[in-house]
Amino acid sequence: MQRRSFFQVAGAAAATSALLLAGCKDDNVTPSEPTLTLGNDEKGVLSYAYVLEQMEASFYQKVVATPPADFSAEEKAIFQQLYEHEVLHREYLGEVLTSVGITPPTNLEFDFSSFTLTTRAGVLDAAQQLEDLGVAAYNGAAKLITTSLYLTALAKISSVEARHAALVRDLRQPGSFAAADVVAASGELAGLDDSKTPLQVLEVVNKYSVIKIAGADLPKA
Amino acid sequence: MNILQLLAELAEANPAIYEQASQRRAILGRIGAMGAKVAAASLPLAAGSLVLASPAFARNTPLDVLQLALLLEHMENDFYRTALGQLAKPDGTKVPAGFIPAEVRPDFVTIQQHEQQHVDFLTTAITNSGGTLATKPGFDYTGSHNGTQTALFPDVFTSFDTFLAVAQFLEDAGVRAYKGQITTLQGDNGILEAGIRIHSVEARHASHIRTLRRQRQSASAPDAIRSWVGPGASGSPLPGKTDLAYAQEDQLTQPVSPIQNVTFSELTALGAVFGTDSARLQRAVQEAFDEPVTTEQATAVVALFTY
Repeated sequence: MQRRSFFQVAGAAAATSALLLAGCKDDNVTPSEPTLTLGNDEKGVLSYAYVLEQMEASFYQKVVATPPADFSAEEKAIFQQLYEHEVLHREYLGEVLTSVGITPPTNLEFDFSSFTLTTRAGVLDAAQQLEDLGVAAYNGAAKLITTSLYLTALAKISSVEARHAALVRDLRQPGSFAAADVVAASGELAGLDDSKTPLQVLEVVNKYSVIKIAGADLPKA
Repeated sequence: MNILQLLAELAEANPAIYEQASQRRAILGRIGAMGAKVAAASLPLAAGSLVLASPAFARNTPLDVLQLALLLEHMENDFYRTALGQLAKPDGTKVPAGFIPAEVRPDFVTIQQHEQQHVDFLTTAITNSGGTLATKPGFDYTGSHNGTQTALFPDVFTSFDTFLAVAQFLEDAGVRAYKGQITTLQGDNGILEAGIRIHSVEARHASHIRTLRRQRQSASAPDAIRSWVGPGASGSPLPGKTDLAYAQEDQLTQPVSPIQNVTFSELTALGAVFGTDSARLQRAVQEAFDEPVTTEQATAVVALFTY
């Protein structure tokens, strides 16, 4: 356990120095991409959840700071509430990480410029993608958690994410709260929500994350 | 013999040994949480207490969870089948076709199909696990237990607003019941993942029904019904009748370990978002975490509607 925490911190330190290196002009140095490496145990899974919540929080922070002109007053209020929930999830997971000896990463940064955040339609599209991703991520991560207290904690968060996802979907397209693109309509898994492995989720997260989030070491089962 | 059936029988015959067999992963996890030093000192004691502990009642097993989940899904499925006019009420009559307004009828068709799919999934899971399907009870959604006592929700199939309030109660209770059972499934990754994936579908349903209720509120309503659980109008939909599913929702702290809670009002980082608005912070804390209900509370919800 002690050794793992050390490597986690070492990874964060390496990422910071890589960031510093990236800023200097020494032609002899090929800076490695700044990376946050997630650990190979439950703590790694909790760090993964922290990254997801930080991504959502920074997304909503951006929307709340500069809402699209065609957002209604009700939609502004709803996005403020979504923002508050995600910040609380992030801070909670940060406290959990601290309690198991891991310093929450401080170098996370996200770039959402690939979304169109100047229009209501663009914001709702982005929010739907991120919320559905969050639900699928928690559904896929549950079995990677060993401590029952943390499993319950993630479930307390994940159903709130599902409530968010359903509301954002309903704002975008009334009645699409649990449409067939997220809840399988047929087959063996009919009626079950989407589930994604951390590697599938991180592939999407890394489209927005400025530093690379490396999840190859995370538990698989 | 199937492992779930074996565990269920073991749990009945000898709770202490079942505890040892099924909780090993959880114990190892707890060691991680406590720190190696404490764990090393307390392990012999912990292991000893597991052997000595001899509760007078059998432990919940994954099979018990599947049975409870199936009962909840039957309750929800038959509720929507009745409202959609597919299934007769206890008195033999059917709800008239126009009861659910045409513009939202497809939403309830979708929800009902999901509940049917959950019933089918759980039925297969129980059968494949070597379990025996419990007899499905009769359901009376007025809460009168087929006319044997005063109805709790006499207009559930004549007032669309009462129907939505009861639907919200059933969906919120479903989310919270799955949440309360999830740690019992930790020994079986397949069933655990199925359980958590059904849990989030129920949360999507609950959110949508709450959204519909908000849209039907009068413009002068002082307190909007939000799509997540919170205080006031966002809590129990029919206070005094549906409170069973909303226990613990006023919590302002969350556990970070078996011995430590986080009190959100003490986190300085939150000042950037909430400033000094402690009421707004308090409300957001209540909303941001959906609480579980116990087996007893979930069973009590079902018992309101069975006869």
